[in-house]
Amino acid sequence: MPSVEALFSVGLAVYLAGAVAGLAAWRRPAAARVAGFALALAGTLLQGAASAMALVQGAGATWTLPLGTALFPWTVRLDPLSAYFNLALAFLACAVSVYSFGYVRHMEGKKNVGTLVFFYNLLLLSLSLVFTAANAFSFLVAWEVMALVAYCLVSFEHEKAEARRAGVVFLVMSHAGTGLLLVAFLVLATTARSLDFARFHLLGSQLPLLDQGAVFLLFFLGFGVKAGIVPLHIWLPDAHPVAPSNVSALMSGIVIKTGIYGMARVFFDFFGPPPLWAGTVVLSIGVASALLGVLYALMEHDLKRLLAYHSIENIGIILMGFGAALVFRALGHGNLAAVALVAGLYHTFNHATFKGLLFLGAGSVLHGTGTRNMEHMGGLIRRMPATALFFLVGSVAISGLPPLNGFVSEWLTYQALLAGFGSTESLTRMMFPISGALLALTAALAAACFVKAFGIPFLALPRSEAAAAAKESPVSMQIGMGILAAGCVALGVGATWFVRLFDPITSQALGLRVSSSLVAANGLAMAAGTGRGGTVSTAGIAVLGLALGGIAAILVMLRSRGARRVSGPTWDCGLPGLTADNQYTATAFSKPLRMIFSALYRPRREIQAEYEVSPYYPTAIRFESDIEPTFEKRFYDPLQRSILELARRMRGIQAGSIHAYLAYIFVTLILLLLFGVRG
Amino acid sequence: MPQDPQFGDKLVTLMAALVLVLQIAMAGQRWIVTNIRIFAVQSFLLAAIAAVIAGFNHAPHIFIAAGLTLIVKAILVPIWLERLVERFQIRREIRPIVNAPLSILICGGLTLVGYVVAESFHRPEEGFNPAALGHNILAVAISLFLIGFFTIINRRKALAQVLALLSLENGLFLAAISLTYGMPLIVEIGVLFDVLVAVMVLGILVYRIRESFESMDVSRLRRLRG
Repeated sequence: MPSVEALFSVGLAVYLAGAVAGLAAWRRPAAARVAGFALALAGTLLQGAASAMALVQGAGATWTLPLGTALFPWTVRLDPLSAYFNLALAFLACAVSVYSFGYVRHMEGKKNVGTLVFFYNLLLLSLSLVFTAANAFSFLVAWEVMALVAYCLVSFEHEKAEARRAGVVFLVMSHAGTGLLLVAFLVLATTARSLDFARFHLLGSQLPLLDQGAVFLLFFLGFGVKAGIVPLHIWLPDAHPVAPSNVSALMSGIVIKTGIYGMARVFFDFFGPPPLWAGTVVLSIGVASALLGVLYALMEHDLKRLLAYHSIENIGIILMGFGAALVFRALGHGNLAAVALVAGLYHTFNHATFKGLLFLGAGSVLHGTGTRNMEHMGGLIRRMPATALFFLVGSVAISGLPPLNGFVSEWLTYQALLAGFGSTESLTRMMFPISGALLALTAALAAACFVKAFGIPFLALPRSEAAAAAKESPVSMQIGMGILAAGCVALGVGATWFVRLFDPITSQALGLRVSSSLVAANGLAMAAGTGRGGTVSTAGIAVLGLALGGIAAILVMLRSRGARRVSGPTWDCGLPGLTADNQYTATAFSKPLRMIFSALYRPRREIQAEYEVSPYYPTAIRFESDIEPTFEKRFYDPLQRSILELARRMRGIQAGSIHAYLAYIFVTLILLLLFGVRG
Repeated sequence: MPQDPQFGDKLVTLMAALVLVLQIAMAGQRWIVTNIRIFAVQSFLLAAIAAVIAGFNHAPHIFIAAGLTLIVKAILVPIWLERLVERFQIRREIRPIVNAPLSILICGGLTLVGYVVAESFHRPEEGFNPAALGHNILAVAISLFLIGFFTIINRRKALAQVLALLSLENGLFLAAISLTYGMPLIVEIGVLFDVLVAVMVLGILVYRIRESFESMDVSRLRRLRG
């Protein structure tokens, strides 16, 4: 049996080969596509095998790749946390690579497929390196490579202005985040006198209290930019939709999870029990991200932007788990901390699965209709039945409905939050039920949103000719979606088996194993792990659902035997001539919520009617409606203006005189010398 | 040669003081050719300091550094610079930005800064030994460096700035030799070679600036700003 190291290293080499193949065959798009994605697929299988083996074995082997320099060796380590994230990457990337065989075909001749294949493989490579880097140097290099490659992929369709703009915003924010990380890593490295992650273990808690808080916040914000926490999220809904859909799936599914990985690494490896306020901050940001993410998603009519906002929501849910775990840890409730951590990590994998699936579904719709605007879709369930089924599975999963995977992890998060109310004191006690209630609100709004996201594009009549002429996607795309849909079901129904994978992670982070307390009834049901919480069995719900559905189907069949089906026209209120334009639209669907939350949205609408005789008989009506982009307008615009103003003032220093420049250096030198003497 | 370290220390201190005086003279002085000659004398004294230190510490390789300093800085570079002055018909008078009395006042202040900074390196409790010979010239070295830097700022013509840069480099040499005694010869040779190349490159650059702007006044580069 091959070793973990060998499988992992060969997997990386295969990614590299895929990247090279893409460049080498850039004149022959079909060859580049087939070779590139086949190699990517092989790489994901190898990486997946290596990660699964490492996760089962539990021990974190460290070895060196021949990439670094003498001073900075490129050490990698597959400890349980790294292996877990790498496994999520491999699973998602496996499905996406299969999907890409069919999806990228339509770009041949229009776009440079070779470069797409190149960057795609490079993205997988850099992601693997981010998850497994064992020292700060290799981590930051991999992190930057990932950001640059992601930038290239976001602006891949660079003939569109929105793609260029989104790419630049992404790059700027990403680098700002990396700057924060760099400072935080340097503080740790100077204390540890080493760049090794192994030496950083629990180091954060040994720093002076002020440094501790600063380092914690720097890491949280630095990784938060990549994860897309509110208010650092503004790049995300722009960047994710404009990339090619297979890349969007990776971006939303796993690239933002690098931020989550970084936080998990810092919160539960570099830090011991953190101060109480740290957990509170993470929990509050999590609640804000979840709620605002879903509220903005509700107002989107661009299918991919809607999904991107849901990524912010789900990052928020993951952070609620992490935040609760930190608070529990600060208060000394180890068991609860482990449950909350499991909830957060579980949701990470689940979100990778169903968000990947939904983006692939959106890509399939885009492939079939050529538009991302839901108002131009409709009736696709008859034209693209497989896509519709898979999108429905993804929608059910993301809405947190049993028995699929989204339900399990959200349920675990609830249980952790509710248990928090029972076992903590005073002020923090109130935080938990409030967070729980807001999580419930978030889940309900997400469900409403996906009624829209599934109903408007797939049901009723086509709203445009493109939608009417849509064709089902190629088989490879369906297989890709099918893998992830199967994953959603398996992770939901098989949750009691899956939670065992977290034992090595929680024992590494907190010294506890909780899977046995999370499993009840001989592995048939999930328990809250706290004694007082509830139990739920997704497998049971699935069996019950199938049984009830089967009984209903049999009853319907029995009753309808011999009955005649009658088709009649839809009731048209006495106004004959109903068309597809009379259908319920996405805008109309979300109107009640727009009214309820108008304090946040500040909606604006404009109606202009043209008429000839009387305003009651208009010949044409123009309707415009939008909502205020609050964060851009209230936070980023003033920030941008003040930076530009500052830059304008700084320009006065740049006199153009060499003597002045020399004098600046000279004065600085003398001040530094005197400062050095004093200190 | 007498082997009394006290005597060696006094000798080195005396020469270092002279070097400092010459540096201040260069900062307050207006004729370019005189400036070059002061620089030559200063370099000569520097070579002498190196030789004395080498003699008292039995470090033959410092003799070589001293010899190279003598040849390159005290002879070759001054000759080359004087030829540049003649060839380009450079105005013999330097018009500094800050006038001479004020320059000298500032140089006094900078010397003070140099002594304050060097004071923090002083370790009187270690006592006196031959290896510490010339430790008190670190202050002179830092002052040389600062005054040289100030002189660069205070000169309009590129050639005069080159000269100030070279005297600044003399300060670095003094600091290195007074602190370490053990700088490998290869480093010394490298530094000297650097100086030689720098002077030649700057000579060419001066020529190009004059060609492009019909003047060597670097203030005219102001137009290059963005």
